[in-house]
Amino acid sequence: MAVTPDAGRVVVSGLTKSFGNVKAVDDLSFSVDPGTITGFLGPNGAGKTTTLRMLLGLVAPDAGSATIGGRSYAALPAPSDEVGAVLEASGFHPARSGRDHLRVYCDVNGYRSARADEVLSLVGLTAAGRRPVRGYSLGMRQRLALAGALLGDPMVLVLDEPANGLDPEGIAWMRRLLRRLSGQGRTVLVSSHVLSEVQQLVDRVVIINRGRLVRQGALAELSDGHATTVAVRTPQPDELAVALSRSDGVQVERSGADGVRVTGMDAAAVGRLAFVERVELHELAAERSDLERIFFALTNSAGEVVS
Amino acid sequence: MGRLIAAEFRKLSTTRLWLWLLLASAALTALFASLAIAFDDAPDNATPPLWTPEGQHTLFSVGSGTRPLLAVLAAIALTGEFRHRTASATFLATPQRGRVVLAKLVTYALVGVGYALVCVAVTIAIAMPWLSAKGIDVQLTGDGIPATFAGVVAVLAIFGLVGVGLGALVRDQVATVVGLLIYLFVVEQVLISIPALGSWTMYLPGAAANALTQVAQADQQYLQPWQGAIVLVGYGLAFAAAGTLLSMRRDVM
Repeated sequence: MAVTPDAGRVVVSGLTKSFGNVKAVDDLSFSVDPGTITGFLGPNGAGKTTTLRMLLGLVAPDAGSATIGGRSYAALPAPSDEVGAVLEASGFHPARSGRDHLRVYCDVNGYRSARADEVLSLVGLTAAGRRPVRGYSLGMRQRLALAGALLGDPMVLVLDEPANGLDPEGIAWMRRLLRRLSGQGRTVLVSSHVLSEVQQLVDRVVIINRGRLVRQGALAELSDGHATTVAVRTPQPDELAVALSRSDGVQVERSGADGVRVTGMDAAAVGRLAFVERVELHELAAERSDLERIFFALTNSAGEVVS
Repeated sequence: MGRLIAAEFRKLSTTRLWLWLLLASAALTALFASLAIAFDDAPDNATPPLWTPEGQHTLFSVGSGTRPLLAVLAAIALTGEFRHRTASATFLATPQRGRVVLAKLVTYALVGVGYALVCVAVTIAIAMPWLSAKGIDVQLTGDGIPATFAGVVAVLAIFGLVGVGLGALVRDQVATVVGLLIYLFVVEQVLISIPALGSWTMYLPGAAANALTQVAQADQQYLQPWQGAIVLVGYGLAFAAAGTLLSMRRDVM
């Protein structure tokens, strides 16, 4: 792969696509930096799959453009060497073995056939590789699709809902693999309709809803401007509540006999205050569902049609 | 293009359909050849007797009767990409979709040649001992018989083109295969029987295929073999070109 300033950068610019009267993607622009893992998020039907298929030249946009390393997908001289893709609802011939499926694409791209075995082993399908795909579980098909994406050792990976059909262990495995691949300097764009699925994986997020961009930026910035909630367990809930209520913009809510929920102050500040006030803490945690709630709020408020 | 053709052959060889259809083609050829010889002396036989060159041309061209099977195989190869949703991966590897269609055209023309050689071999294996037993002496190298064999090879190769081309145009597998079979076995027979169409029916695909192998049948006019070949190739390439320009460009979801 040629080293240019644009290498591995994905740029989507003014992308628009309608199906009949429905605007699936509406003037969407965002970019993905080389070497990062970016979560492409939005509820089902937000236009993620259509956007990714336009990026990959499978769907023709009505307007706008999408480039990978400065070129449209169709203009890449050896696309499989540069971009690997796992698409939702992409398929396999049921009677063909996973290994033969991969070898077909080795033939197309001029890779040696042994490369099929290498990627099968990379995704843990060596044992099943010679069996017909009709006997594969959904998770095995996802692994096979990922193996196909990795055939050309590409610097850019585009994955549409790769966690679909994977069990929790499979999702953890997929996270480790993607993190390792991005650690090698690859650009990863991974879509999901569930933030928590990719929350521990991605550096950045691009959030869309109804075909429009809602937010793009670092995952950490997502909570900017949104109140965070901290859950505390303490044998002295009343003393803590009183101390907290002296701070501006902090809402305190009792939950159960020993629980306090604090909104408007981060976990570190709550802990510091408890330490200063000599309040014993048994538990102090930023609520894990927090980002998910922000995501939910973002994707529900934007573009929602009031009926 | 060589890589794409190699990939098409791997797609073909890694499922079993080609084998079943080849066995079916060989069995059909054996059946047609046996019927042609067994009913040679029947009083109401419309085909020329086997001791004439015309009769021998008809006998040695029976393999071309398997052309619907080859066209179905070729049509399934193209439409299967959409049915099994492998089109995404195929077009990701080769974004120039016309090149994929072209690779399949070449591949299935070659597969047609292979099928034809098997059918020709089956015909020879059945006809030579049987005719010899009936006291009919046949020179495989003479009397236009090599040209008949070449015609069988050409028909099956060209029906590979037709199948791929039609599949590219229609895209839907069931519609393509059913439409192809209904056309060949019903529609064309009906069209041929309409007197008002006159000599225009010579240009229909089935008639053009018969012209190529000079299958003699009462009351039907045929083109010259080379004209039949051009007409048939024209059908295949016209379908493929229209398919590439129209339906293959459609979004792959």
